[in-house]
Amino acid sequence: MNALGRLRGVADRMATASGGERLLIGIGSVLLALFIGSIIVFAAGYDPITFLLFLFWGAFGSAGDVAFTLRKTTLLILAGVAVALAFRANIFNIGVQGQLVVGGFGTAMSIIWLAPYVPSGTLGGIVLMLIGIPIGMVCGGLYAAIPGVMKAYADANEVITTLMLNFIATGVLFVLVDGPLKDPDSPAPKTVDFPDSVEFPSVVLDSSRFSLYGLLIALAAVVVVSVVMNRTAFGYDLRTSGEQAEAAAYSGVIPERMIVSTMVFSGIVAGLCGAVYTIMVLGYYQDPGVTPTFGFDAIAVSLLAANNPIGVVPSSLLFGSLSSGKQFVEINQNVPQELVDGIVGLIVLFVATPELFRMAGRRRGDRE
Amino acid sequence: MKYLSMTNQRLMALASVLGVVVLWFVGRLFPETVVGEIFTTGMVARSLRLSVPIALAAVGGLYAEKSGVFNIGLEGLLIFGAFTAAAVSWELGGSQISQLDLWIAVLVAMAVSAAIAAIFAVFTIRYKANQIVAGLAIWFLGLGFAPFAAIVLWDRVNSPSLNGIDTIVVPGLSEIPLLGPVLFEASPFVPITVGIVILAYLVLYYTRWGYWVQAAGENPEALDTAGVSVNRVRYASVIFSGVLCGLGGAALSIGFSEGFVGRGVTMVDGRGWIAIVAYLFGNYNPLGAFGASLLFGGVNALQIQLQTIGVSIPNRLSGLFPYIAVLIVLAFVGGTRIPSAAGEPYETESE
Repeated sequence: MNALGRLRGVADRMATASGGERLLIGIGSVLLALFIGSIIVFAAGYDPITFLLFLFWGAFGSAGDVAFTLRKTTLLILAGVAVALAFRANIFNIGVQGQLVVGGFGTAMSIIWLAPYVPSGTLGGIVLMLIGIPIGMVCGGLYAAIPGVMKAYADANEVITTLMLNFIATGVLFVLVDGPLKDPDSPAPKTVDFPDSVEFPSVVLDSSRFSLYGLLIALAAVVVVSVVMNRTAFGYDLRTSGEQAEAAAYSGVIPERMIVSTMVFSGIVAGLCGAVYTIMVLGYYQDPGVTPTFGFDAIAVSLLAANNPIGVVPSSLLFGSLSSGKQFVEINQNVPQELVDGIVGLIVLFVATPELFRMAGRRRGDRE
Repeated sequence: MKYLSMTNQRLMALASVLGVVVLWFVGRLFPETVVGEIFTTGMVARSLRLSVPIALAAVGGLYAEKSGVFNIGLEGLLIFGAFTAAAVSWELGGSQISQLDLWIAVLVAMAVSAAIAAIFAVFTIRYKANQIVAGLAIWFLGLGFAPFAAIVLWDRVNSPSLNGIDTIVVPGLSEIPLLGPVLFEASPFVPITVGIVILAYLVLYYTRWGYWVQAAGENPEALDTAGVSVNRVRYASVIFSGVLCGLGGAALSIGFSEGFVGRGVTMVDGRGWIAIVAYLFGNYNPLGAFGASLLFGGVNALQIQLQTIGVSIPNRLSGLFPYIAVLIVLAFVGGTRIPSAAGEPYETESE
């Protein structure tokens, strides 16, 4: 067996050996964070049991709630996969939010500009989406290339560059949507609506803002990304440069090129997230400042999933339910929904700290 | 090569500071020109004010990183500081609050941010959490819990309008031409910040404590051999970064504004992130970090100034100047030499 093959074996074994433990750490983190959240709810003068029940009820209580939960889940899966694959290469892409609003913008503008040139009706709609979605992906990928190049060739910390680019994307796109590209008939900063034919039919749950097709696109992205990560030379290089940068360099990986291509790959998925959001949820383009923060929530999603693309699916479902549950809690129990954002922060803190759970486990073991 | 690039970096910093000074003088000499309209004494004072929270967070962050802990949660700590200062001054006296009570609010804000920083320290040092992820978590905690607490307290994410800390005029010193009105007829946060920066510089490079901080980040084994607890130095440095962020956050909410704004990314609005760039740009030197903070404060003030003289750049676009400045700065000075043990937990032999 050559050195490469042996390395691959080691990497695979490491991934499976720690899998069960990672799952336990993830579950432990969520429970601990919800527990602390309940204490805060109690301290603020609300009933914690009602809070937890409402959180669950708000996510799955009615068909409309389920549609809302699944819509969030769909978009979190895409953003989460984008974050996860960069994290796997040890690159902190905090800029998924910026990349997805740029991607969504690319999709929206190509649809709006091309609409007069294609026939109306279903066929025209499909053509527009088939052009618009890839353009959104390319835009997301190109926007992610900027911090990639800056990290690779100027050693600029990607956490900070991607964050700055988030602020810049949101600001510039707002000015465009509020100015030259604004729908003259609308008081709000938004573009004109897409043609009616540009939409994903809802199939189930009869929601105009959730479609099974969107969820299928997200799941297809999960499959594609995990196949690329686990079955191709590129994915192998990506994982080794994250796990053992020196070994990757020995096997001939050029670190600079790997950083840029990882960022672009991540940005492409983020761009797809933006494309699905604009088509499935909006049907036009609006102030990106009010786009939900999928890109940031996706960091929590990915960490909870131990940066595994397949693990992103259940993790997204959890955060999707939290996010639809929190609105129900605010309306019916008066508990501010920002609390749930804080709980998500706690989950991230605990997930980042596997040692905490290992020590807790060890201590209990000692006593027995 | 490394030496050369560092020299370049200092030259660039020096050149930009000199450039601003020259522009200011030109502005004073020819007040009728565009330069004169933009580079007024008011703008210099505003630049200083705007740089205060950035500089304080930057000095704290650089101590933490010098000691070996990359504290990427500065933004979150600033949010906690800004909220706490506003909340405490509301509880103590609402809109009728006295100046003394406002300073108590500042102290509580410093204590709360220090406590959050201590939690971050325990997670990263004791439990070896990934420093970047734990720092992001601190940011998320601030973004979530500060507006939550604001709603519990005020029924909305923003505080009502609060009294601010008064400008202090130092008699005599404020008469100094040019410098006087900028430094000695200003919010007390400005001279406090300048004092802390100078003190932080002296401590870091001329005291034993400063030597320990540097050793904890560069060569923890040596420090350990010398009988000093590496982790204790790191705890102290991280908590110190929390104290300064508390002060910086308080300066934002009750120093220069009239309360806390929790909408969107809150009133801190990325200053914690800019602070990290500021100390990178300043090459981990408190004076350099302050210079860089002044630069970002100046860029921000320039944007305000452009608006007041009626140069028509959309508000949201000119608000992006600092972020673009950060990107340009990072593109040129990305490769600063970080402390060699930064980011790694230290394991003592005795454990």
